[in-house]
Amino acid sequence: MIELSVLDEIIYYILRPEFFVPVIFPGLITSMILLLITIWAERKIAAKVQLRFGPLLISPRIGGLLQLIADLLKFVFSEIIVPARAFKALYILGPALLLSTSLLPLVVIPISTSIHYSLYVIGNNGAYVPIYVNFSLIAALALSMLTPIMVIMTAWATNNRFAVVGALREGFLMITYDVLLIMSAFSMAIIYGGVDLFGFVNFQSSHYLGILMNPISAFVFLVAMLLGSSRYPFEIVEADTEIVIGPYTEYSGLLFILTMGGSYIKTFVYSILFSVIFLGGWLPFSGGIGALFTVFKAIIILLFSVFLRSVYGRYRIDQALRGAWKLMFLLAIISMVLSFIWRWFLVA
Amino acid sequence: MKSLSQLSKPELSKINYVVSELSKLGKEVIKDIKAEGERRGYAELVDRKYILLVSKKMKEIGFDHMKAITGIDFPDQEAIQVVYHFSSYSDLELAKIIFAVKTWVPYDDCKIDSIYNVFPSAYTFERETYEFLGVYFVSHPDMKLFFLPEDFEGVFPLRKSFKIKHEGMFIDREE
Amino acid sequence: MRGCLLTERNRVNEEELKEVEIIVEPGQGQAELNIGPQHPGSGHMRLVAKIRGDIVEELVLDPGYVHRSVEKLCENRHYMHLIPLVERPTIIDSIHMNMGYIMAVEKIMNLEVPERALYLRSFAAEVNRISSHLYGLGILGIFIGHSTMFMWGFADREPFVEILQNLTGARITNSYVVPGGVRRDLSQSVKEFAIKAVSYLRKKIKDYENIFLNNPNVRARLENVGVISREKAIELGLVGPNLRASGVPYDVRKIEPYAAYQKLDFEIPVYKEGDAFARTLVRMEEVQQSMNMIMQIIKEIPEGEILNQRILKQIPPQRIKKWYEEQKRIVFPGYFASMRPPKGDAISRVEASRGELVYYVVSDGSSIPYRVRMITPSYMLIKPFMEIAKGHRIADIPAIYGSLDYFPPEADR
Repeated sequence: MIELSVLDEIIYYILRPEFFVPVIFPGLITSMILLLITIWAERKIAAKVQLRFGPLLISPRIGGLLQLIADLLKFVFSEIIVPARAFKALYILGPALLLSTSLLPLVVIPISTSIHYSLYVIGNNGAYVPIYVNFSLIAALALSMLTPIMVIMTAWATNNRFAVVGALREGFLMITYDVLLIMSAFSMAIIYGGVDLFGFVNFQSSHYLGILMNPISAFVFLVAMLLGSSRYPFEIVEADTEIVIGPYTEYSGLLFILTMGGSYIKTFVYSILFSVIFLGGWLPFSGGIGALFTVFKAIIILLFSVFLRSVYGRYRIDQALRGAWKLMFLLAIISMVLSFIWRWFLVA
Repeated sequence: MKSLSQLSKPELSKINYVVSELSKLGKEVIKDIKAEGERRGYAELVDRKYILLVSKKMKEIGFDHMKAITGIDFPDQEAIQVVYHFSSYSDLELAKIIFAVKTWVPYDDCKIDSIYNVFPSAYTFERETYEFLGVYFVSHPDMKLFFLPEDFEGVFPLRKSFKIKHEGMFIDREE
Repeated sequence: MRGCLLTERNRVNEEELKEVEIIVEPGQGQAELNIGPQHPGSGHMRLVAKIRGDIVEELVLDPGYVHRSVEKLCENRHYMHLIPLVERPTIIDSIHMNMGYIMAVEKIMNLEVPERALYLRSFAAEVNRISSHLYGLGILGIFIGHSTMFMWGFADREPFVEILQNLTGARITNSYVVPGGVRRDLSQSVKEFAIKAVSYLRKKIKDYENIFLNNPNVRARLENVGVISREKAIELGLVGPNLRASGVPYDVRKIEPYAAYQKLDFEIPVYKEGDAFARTLVRMEEVQQSMNMIMQIIKEIPEGEILNQRILKQIPPQRIKKWYEEQKRIVFPGYFASMRPPKGDAISRVEASRGELVYYVVSDGSSIPYRVRMITPSYMLIKPFMEIAKGHRIADIPAIYGSLDYFPPEADR
C-alpha cells in the first residue's frame, strides 16, 4: 500500500476527473474565464476590422483585457427587475438552469488519457472523463439538447411578446441544427466504427485525422454549431434590431450575465466536441498536456466562430431554415455516403 | 446677369396648354387662372365644392402626384386658404411645372372634399392639415391625430389665434 | 370663441382622435407587436405591426415623437433668424434644408446670385450628400446586423464633415447659405483637403463592395424585399433615390437645375427592380457621382464675389474692411434681421440627399413670414412605408426601414 501525506491526498482528489473536469478544467471556472476572454477577443477582432480600437480604457497596457471584468462587476451590482406579470419562480431560475445545462455535456466527453487519476482503463490507457459510458457521443448530444428547452421556458415565463417571438425562432432552429449535428456526428461514427468518443481518438491516432477523412461532415458540423449557439451569421434568436434580444428581453443585472454566458458556453462545448471528433483531441500528447491541447484546439474553433461577427450580417429565420434543410441536409447525406465508402475501403 | 437656373426653359407651350385645358372648365368653376413664367402657375376656384372636379381634370392633363397641400389661416377674413400644388413624374415636360390650385374654406363650415381617391399621395398632407388647422376632409380614410400627442387639447395649433407660450428666464441669484 | 377648440366644435368623433388603432381578432394567431420608441430598430418613432405568425399584415406608423413645430415657429421669427431653425430637422443634411428656404426667399425678393456663390453652394451640397448617404448606408447596415458597414460608414463620413468644418466653421447645421450668396469663401487649404478626402474614399469604395454589396448574406436580406413597382411609386408620391430605384429617371438637379448644376457633368443612376438592393446601389452610385462633381467644381470654379452686390452694399464699410477683405467672410450687422421682402409667395425645390425638398413661403410684406411650409423627403415616405411592409416578415421591417432611409426627425419637423 502506498503511503501518501495529507497534501498529496488532497492533490490526488482534486485532480480526479470527477471533480476536476466539471468544476475546474474545462468546466465551470475555466469556462467562465474563457467566456470573458472570448467576448474580449470578439470585440477586439471586430474592432481591428472596423478601424477602431475596441476596449482600451480599463487596462490600456494589456490591451483592455480587464474590460470584461469591469462589465461583469457592473452587471453584478445592477438591480434585478422582475416584471409584475412574469412567472417569478421560472423567471429567476431560468438563467441558472440555462447555464448549468449548457455545461452538462462535459461530464461524458473525454479530454485526455491518464493512468493514475482515472478509474476507467481501456486497452492500456485510462480515459480522463468523469463518467465513462461507451455511447458517449450519443450521451453528449442528448445532454446538449436540454438547453433550448430551458430557453423556451425562460421566454415563456417572461410574459413579453418579443420574448415569445424569440422562443419560437429558437424552437424552429432547435429541430434543424439537432438533425444536422446528429447526422454529421454519425457519419464520423460510421468511419470510426463505434459511438465511443474515446475510441474515436484512438482510431484517429492509428489512421488519419477526422477532418481529412470527411471534410464535408466537418463543414456541416461547423455550420450546425453556428446555428445552434447564435453566432453570426445566424444570430437569429437574439436579433438585436428586430426583437430586442429575443428571449432575454426583460433581464437585467446578474441574471442578464447568466443568459449571455449560456450561448457562449454552448459554443465552447460544441467546439470541444468538434476537436475530439475531427481534430484528434489530445493527439499527439497525453496526460495533462493532452488535456490542455484539446482545449487549445477548441479555443481556435471558438475564436473562428466569433470572428464571423465582423464579416456577416444576420439571416432571416426562413432563409436560415431553408438553407439548412435544402443545402446542409443534402451535404450531410453526401457525407454519410462518403463515410460508407471510407469504411468499406478501410475494412476491406 | 441671368442666373444659371433660367438657362433651361421648358417649352412655353406646355404651361399655356395647362392653362387652356383648365380654362375649358368654365368661368363658374375657375375664378382666376394665370401662368407665372414657364414653370409656375396658379388657378383660383370659385367655390370649394369643385375641387374634386378640378383634380380629376388635372389627372387627365397628366399631373400624377401632389407636391404639397398647404393651409393658410386668415383670421381677418375668417377663412382658411387651402393651396394644392400639383406636379408630374411620368411626363418629363410637365415635371418642370408646379401648378397651384387655391381655394377658400370658411371657419364655420370647415369641410372640403378629399382628393385621396384621385391622388393617393395626398394622404399625409390632408391628415396633417386637419390636425393642425381643423379643415375636415370628407371621405379621407384616417382623419386622426398624427404628429401631435394623443392628449393634445386646445386650439388648432397653426391657427393665428394659438399663441406660443413663452417660457420665462430663470436667473439664479446667489444670496 | 374664435378659433374653435379641439374639444368643442370640430371634433367630429371621439373615436377618430385616437392615433393608432389595430384590431386583432382572437383565435387567429394574430398579435400586435409594438416596435416602440424604446427599441434598437425603430429610431425616434413608433411602429405598430399586426402580425400573423411571422408575417406582417398591417404596419401603422406613429410619428410625432420629435415634433418641434418648425412651421409654427417660423411665423414668429424674422427671415434671417429662421436660417438656423429650418436647417435643424435634418441636421446631417442641413445645407440642402438651408438652401431650399433661401431659394424661396430669393424668389420673393428677386435676388440674383453671383456665379462663384452658385458653385460654392453646389460644392457644399455635394459634400453633404456624400456624408448623408454614408450615414444612411451605415444605418441600413446595422439594421440588418452588419456592424462593419455601420462602423465604416460613420468613420468614412469624417473627412467630409471635416471639409465642411474647414469651409463653413461647423460640422453640421452650418448656416452657410444666406440670401444673395454664401457666407464664406473657398481657400486653398480647403481645396487640398477636399482632393485628399475624395481620393481616400475612392480607394475605400472597393472595400465596401467586397464586404457589403457582394456579400451573399446581405444580398439575401435585401433582394426582393420591399419591392415598389413604377406605377405604385408614382402614385404614392415617393421621392429621391427610392423613386430612381423603381425606374423613374427624375432628379430635381436635371429637371429644374439650381445652383451650378446646369454647368456640371453628371449622371443619375436609375434601376428598374425597385427592391431594397436597388435602393442601396442607387445610393452607392450617387456617392461616386458626387465625388466626380466635387473634383469638377474644384477645377472649374470661377472667380468673383460671393454675395449679391445689392446686399453687399448695405453692410457698413468697417465690417467689410475687417472681415470681408482680409478673411473673405461675411458678417451681417444687426439691422439685417428686419429685412422686409415684398408681398408674394414662392415655391422652391431642391434635391436633398433623401429626396426632393419643397418649400412654400408666403410673405405679407412684413419682416416675419406669414406662412412657411416645409415638405421634407421623409414626410413623403410615411404612406409608402405603410404600404410596402404588408406581406413581409418581421425581420424585413428593419431592412425596409433602412433601405428607404427614413429619418424620423425630418418627417416630424
